[in-house]
Amino acid sequence: MNTEKLIEELGRNARPVRPLAMPGRRLLGWLAVSMIAVASLVMMMGLRADLATKLGEASFTVQQIASLATTIAAAIAAFAASVPGEPRWKLWLPAAPLAVWIASLGHQCWQEWVRFGVGGMEFRPDFICIPAIAMIGIVPAGAMVAMVRRGAPFHPRLTIILGTLAAGALANFGLRLFHASDAALMVLVWQFGSVALFTALAGLQGRRLLPRPI
Amino acid sequence: MAAAQRGDGASYVCLLRDVTPLLRRVAQRRWPSAGADHIEDVVQDTLLTLHAVRHTYTPGRPFEPWLMGILRHRLADSVRRSVRRSSREFAVANLEETFSDVPANMEEEWLPDRDALHKAIAGLSPAQRRAVELLKLKEMSLKEAAAETGMSITALKVATHRALKSLRAVLGRDG
Repeated sequence: MNTEKLIEELGRNARPVRPLAMPGRRLLGWLAVSMIAVASLVMMMGLRADLATKLGEASFTVQQIASLATTIAAAIAAFAASVPGEPRWKLWLPAAPLAVWIASLGHQCWQEWVRFGVGGMEFRPDFICIPAIAMIGIVPAGAMVAMVRRGAPFHPRLTIILGTLAAGALANFGLRLFHASDAALMVLVWQFGSVALFTALAGLQGRRLLPRPI
Repeated sequence: MAAAQRGDGASYVCLLRDVTPLLRRVAQRRWPSAGADHIEDVVQDTLLTLHAVRHTYTPGRPFEPWLMGILRHRLADSVRRSVRRSSREFAVANLEETFSDVPANMEEEWLPDRDALHKAIAGLSPAQRRAVELLKLKEMSLKEAAAETGMSITALKVATHRALKSLRAVLGRDG
């Protein structure tokens, strides 16, 4: 087909469209919906009794701040990945808070290993974390998928990984406000591990969840 | 672009006409080995994608980075397709025949009676007889035999195959 004919055809099909909101507004909209959903669930489960004490502990506070920062950074990256021409550095935003989060978990593991030895470190099955993360994260994840689908995700797998990381990190933040399980290995394997699991699974389904624009 | 998003067709056509030469130039610069037809495919793919995702442009933000983002993706797709295609294809010389003129696979220890052979050949259909005479007895190439008989090369091959099968059956060989 001749390019000029194509242009004329596209001009004839120029129906009005509703443009995407500014990136900041999209982020605030997603955060508002997600925070309300997570807060509602946390209130339903009841805040842990020792929350005030935990907030005084450096490792707990650092991990909570890092997971919240990962949420916001990954959401920015996911929205950027679904709009053509956005600067590529935005895709790397979650790397720093995620590294801090993992480093803090690793540091806590090392501290407990030094204090109690390998045999003294608490580790038992805590499968409830997996459905708990899924339940807390379902609304943020659903909202994220709906919002990035409105965009143009040329890299569906990367976009869904970033979006799921955002939802999963927020779910983990909420979980730790009511689930009193703080042993280093427990947090690393069951809580952070659940976030990593869902992020990986979503990545495998990326092309199905987010079809590429033509 | 904002006008195009509101449905202003005339503005949209002006915009597309303005950006087309830019897309062509940038695509050619980033893919210097591509021919004009490949570049034009990239340009058209980009225009189609621009049309499909025009709602993702935020009015007030720079237009060119958004446009170049679309071009970059479409160019990468085209290059990938081209590399995949060329890894499965190779240029073939102008071959006149599709197989070498190798004699029929007759077992060497079996030598039929000459008269019996001529009688058997005479009993073939005219097309099969002609094919055997030209290709096996006169040892012509397929191209020469096709020119002589007016039959296609494929028809000659089929006729030869059937003739040899018949000859084997007539001369007492198992098929």
